[in-house]
Amino acid sequence: MYVSIFFCSRPLIFCPTLHRSRWRKCAARVFGSREKTRRRPNAAEERNVCHVAAPLTPLSNMAGKAGKPSRPRKADKDEEEQPLQAVLVADSFNRRFFPITKDQPRALLPLANVSMIDYTLEFLTSTGVQETFVFCCWMASKIKEHLQKSKWCRPTSPNVVHVITSDLYRSLGDVLRDVDAKTLVRSDFLLVYGDVVSNIDISQALQEHKQRRSMDKNVSVMTMIFKESPPGHKTRCEDDDIIIAMDGKSKRILHYQRAQALKRLHFPMNIFHSGSDEFEIRFDLLDCHISICSPQVAELFTDNFDYQTKNDFVRGLLVNEEILGNQIHMHVTKDGYGARVSNLLMYDTVSSDTIRRWVYPITPEANFADLEGQSCTHSRHNVYRETGVSLGHGSQMEENVLIGRNTMIGANCTISNTVIGANCVIGDNVTLDRAYIWNRVHIADDVKVKQSVICDNVEVKHGVVLNEQCVLAYNVVVGPDITLPEGTVLSMHHPDEEDDEDDDEFLSDDNDVGYRKDKTKLKVFNPAEVGSEGKGYRWKTSSLEDTEEDELAECIWGEIDFRFSQFLTQSYKISFRNLGKQLTSLLNQFLYHGGKFYKSLLKKWAPVFKNYVKRPQDQLDCLASMEEVFLERETHWAALVKVLMSMYQLEILEEEGIMHWFNQGSTTDKSQQLRRNQGLLKFIQWLQEAEESSEEDE
Amino acid sequence: MELQAVLMAAGGGSRMMDLTYNTPKPLLPVGNRPLIWYPLNLLERVGFEEVIVITTKEVQKALSTDQRLKTDVKMRLDVVCIQEETDMGTADALRHIQQKIKTDILVVSCDLITDVALHEVVDLFRAHNATLSMLMSKVHEFTDTVPGQKGKKKAGEQRDFVGVDVTGKRLLFMANEADLEEGLVFRKSIMRKHPRMLIKTGLLDAHLYCLKRSVVDFLVHNKSVTSIRGELVPYLVRKQFSKMFGVHNKCTSKEEALLQLARERSCWNDHRGDMSEAYHGGKLRCYVHIMEEGMCYRVNTLAAYIEANRVVPKLFEDPPIHPTAVVTERSLVGSDSIIGPYCQISDKTSIKRSNVGTSSTIKEKVKITNSIIMNGVTIEEGCNIQGSVICNNAVIGRGADMKYCLVGSGQCIEPEGENAVVQCSSGYTTHTKTHTLHFCSSVVFVLNPAFCVCVCVHSLAHVCLFFV
Repeated sequence: MYVSIFFCSRPLIFCPTLHRSRWRKCAARVFGSREKTRRRPNAAEERNVCHVAAPLTPLSNMAGKAGKPSRPRKADKDEEEQPLQAVLVADSFNRRFFPITKDQPRALLPLANVSMIDYTLEFLTSTGVQETFVFCCWMASKIKEHLQKSKWCRPTSPNVVHVITSDLYRSLGDVLRDVDAKTLVRSDFLLVYGDVVSNIDISQALQEHKQRRSMDKNVSVMTMIFKESPPGHKTRCEDDDIIIAMDGKSKRILHYQRAQALKRLHFPMNIFHSGSDEFEIRFDLLDCHISICSPQVAELFTDNFDYQTKNDFVRGLLVNEEILGNQIHMHVTKDGYGARVSNLLMYDTVSSDTIRRWVYPITPEANFADLEGQSCTHSRHNVYRETGVSLGHGSQMEENVLIGRNTMIGANCTISNTVIGANCVIGDNVTLDRAYIWNRVHIADDVKVKQSVICDNVEVKHGVVLNEQCVLAYNVVVGPDITLPEGTVLSMHHPDEEDDEDDDEFLSDDNDVGYRKDKTKLKVFNPAEVGSEGKGYRWKTSSLEDTEEDELAECIWGEIDFRFSQFLTQSYKISFRNLGKQLTSLLNQFLYHGGKFYKSLLKKWAPVFKNYVKRPQDQLDCLASMEEVFLERETHWAALVKVLMSMYQLEILEEEGIMHWFNQGSTTDKSQQLRRNQGLLKFIQWLQEAEESSEEDE
Repeated sequence: MELQAVLMAAGGGSRMMDLTYNTPKPLLPVGNRPLIWYPLNLLERVGFEEVIVITTKEVQKALSTDQRLKTDVKMRLDVVCIQEETDMGTADALRHIQQKIKTDILVVSCDLITDVALHEVVDLFRAHNATLSMLMSKVHEFTDTVPGQKGKKKAGEQRDFVGVDVTGKRLLFMANEADLEEGLVFRKSIMRKHPRMLIKTGLLDAHLYCLKRSVVDFLVHNKSVTSIRGELVPYLVRKQFSKMFGVHNKCTSKEEALLQLARERSCWNDHRGDMSEAYHGGKLRCYVHIMEEGMCYRVNTLAAYIEANRVVPKLFEDPPIHPTAVVTERSLVGSDSIIGPYCQISDKTSIKRSNVGTSSTIKEKVKITNSIIMNGVTIEEGCNIQGSVICNNAVIGRGADMKYCLVGSGQCIEPEGENAVVQCSSGYTTHTKTHTLHFCSSVVFVLNPAFCVCVCVHSLAHVCLFFV
């Protein structure tokens, strides 16, 4: 039973008769602790209950549809006539845009003066989507409001937009599970995020997908769209680098991996046994985050409740391809443009690509979102001006500039590669290069801005210099006469605020210890950071290291997961003792590879461990196998204490177990030596004292 | 002289010992010509005037005596003999003749039969100033039943993995499945330079290499490398991406410097997508020409040998029946067969899709289909031979009925006694001091009963014969 619970990600093989709801229960047991941390304390509601938006157009009645019993899926005859549907996830489930997204959801951030979600919806509509489900979580009401006002909710819109909101979505997986629960999709659908900017014509890909599905029923479940862009391409962001191995003829994805933290790219041999004699390894692809999914995708997410992200899904499917028989294919576009604004760097590049008309016909002067007063003129060197722009004497708009309506620019300014929103006031002698200035911003004289984002209502006082990659979030005031170093992030929200609030939006469990170090909450603006008249708190720059660590852990996780599944397919009647041993030794191996990751890794695996290590005998087994590993590598003895400590803290191991193991007669000299390790002795002593004190309490 | 040709003809043919037991591989008849003629002809066709042939004493003797070869090959052959016993590898052989090598070299193996336009390989070598360029071709599936082979080839055969860039020319990776238990591993830096890598399996290495002169120097310094295919080529392919490379030390010749300058000034580049200089500054480059169509065989297995014999006659416009052969009018020789010089073919004999070698005698009422008869073979009356290979100087007794058999050279199938029919559905080979006999799938065989000591039935489908 233990085994099958753990391998719930592959439930259908091990226990096909088990009902789904029971799987959910199992899941709750296994991942109970994780679940708890993610939920709000007061979130007692059922997960599946969520607010369905009121019908937005007379054309559809969402509430009615949700209530209907599920239609028979995959009715061949219908499939042709079914209108194309799309699932738009208007939430990123990460915090890469923090602190900007504290005030505004990412989908609504302006990109070339138009909200990002409008680009996505325009793409969907132009590609022939007739029904779109927008799933919102963070600041759902704002998105709903925005959409209700937009052209998508007018009766004439060819694309019917339904907004579905719930506070309980934690990941893409939750959204798709909800799609399955509500049986929203009837046939193949498009899956996109709310921050995708694209003009790709997917009709060909769609046709290929349909053809594959009609040839081999239910084998190919997903077609991912990629754009060809070699390494070093401007639109590529290193964070999102992926490496793909594909079958040269059938375009089937054989291996998919994020390559960001890897030095060496590893392809297991079994992917080359597919019978083909031509494979391609591609590092020149940009994931557009547009995928054509069949309804099974939603079902698969339901069956495998541990799939959270698309990455989980793809890797899970590829690893289990032999068992589940599901395949993923790909479509590569050369001419189209498709990118996801996944971080600020991408925001910069996608904005400038839009201004440079790479997303044609989606251009600033097209006013595709049909917003009133947004029409602008397009002149040489990609200079766009909306109505009511005034430009002072001697000011120059060099190239790739977009200026919003009623913005006033002073004299002798130099502006290049810049987007300025509506109703801004910009003083004299201002230099702007690659600046993204949103609405109602005041910039005084003699200001220099380089590659920075300035949000709504910011005031930049006289003589301020913003160096590269600065972010001034909403309502911040800076200056006068201050130079902000590279990568400064200022916000009206205090960085520590989020500790008080329950940041339930974000799945990424930042177990950062560093945050808590300065508990002294300086609620006073620091003039050294924002200038004498400034208002705002400095955020620690979203250091790359954090993300790297995350990603690496992810990779390692994937690796272990992979090995495990292999291990299991070999024999799933495995004894529990072996499994525990295997787990421990694997983990220990990784411990050596990167000592600093062990903590987060252990935490991730704690539920699994707990599940395995239950009886006192299991604890001893676990300890014994750990000891075995450590005995082999003397140099790492010091780390043993750390591992023991964290396992103790995570309640995987108990005092009795550790004490028993320690006092157990050791047979060899070496293990005796190990037990004489200074750190270990201290730890044992500490344990003993703790025990005694607890006994005294009783 | 731009290129010196080196022909490697000292191989023993270890993968088809049945055939090379008595005849050295370079001299095996293919379409009534010795195997070695084909690479020589390939070189001559493109205009080589001289070729260094590395071979054994035995072959040298044959080369100097074979009149036909002498008239056919007009190139000057510079024959270098190596001792057979020393077990020299191909790289060892290059090292052995390094004194003779003055320029870049073209190394050809003696078992290559191809109609490739050789300039394709050499052009790659020239155009990219490559260190190595080689020839590959799609692997041929041999569909015919092969004497002496049990069923089909095993599916679990080790494949070669060849990685090329998007143009299909630059060789980026080469490894055998056997060495890849851990899976394929690429450094990200390689993928960054060549972001789209095509991995092909099912390619046949034709063992035809253009090599820079400096590679021979490298071999002289590194005595541990013994084989070109096994060690040198994989080494060179790997070394393309390592930063330091000893062989290609800064060639500061005037020509080299000019070339360098030309490349710097030119707007030409070998890749797209990034702004770095051509070849990413790499000094060592390996290229491969992969034949999409055309013929390319390496005669190193029995199956390839049979296939080559079948295909080759169509390529060369020799008369199917040699003028000196005596063929009676009442025999039937198909147009898809070739008959060698001084053959005698008697009445009521039919020969279809077969090759008959020099000075063979075929008596009356013999039926030969799909077979290869080598030189000096005598086939007595009434024989029926199908899908078989009969080696030099064998004598097939009267009334023999054989299917998919391989008869070793000098072998004598006795005609006496009753027709004993032995069926055997799996390959079997016996070696005695004087006899080499091969019984293969579905053998129907006539034997002298006295010869046959016992028939051992292992299973229903498995019969073994033992000889005294």
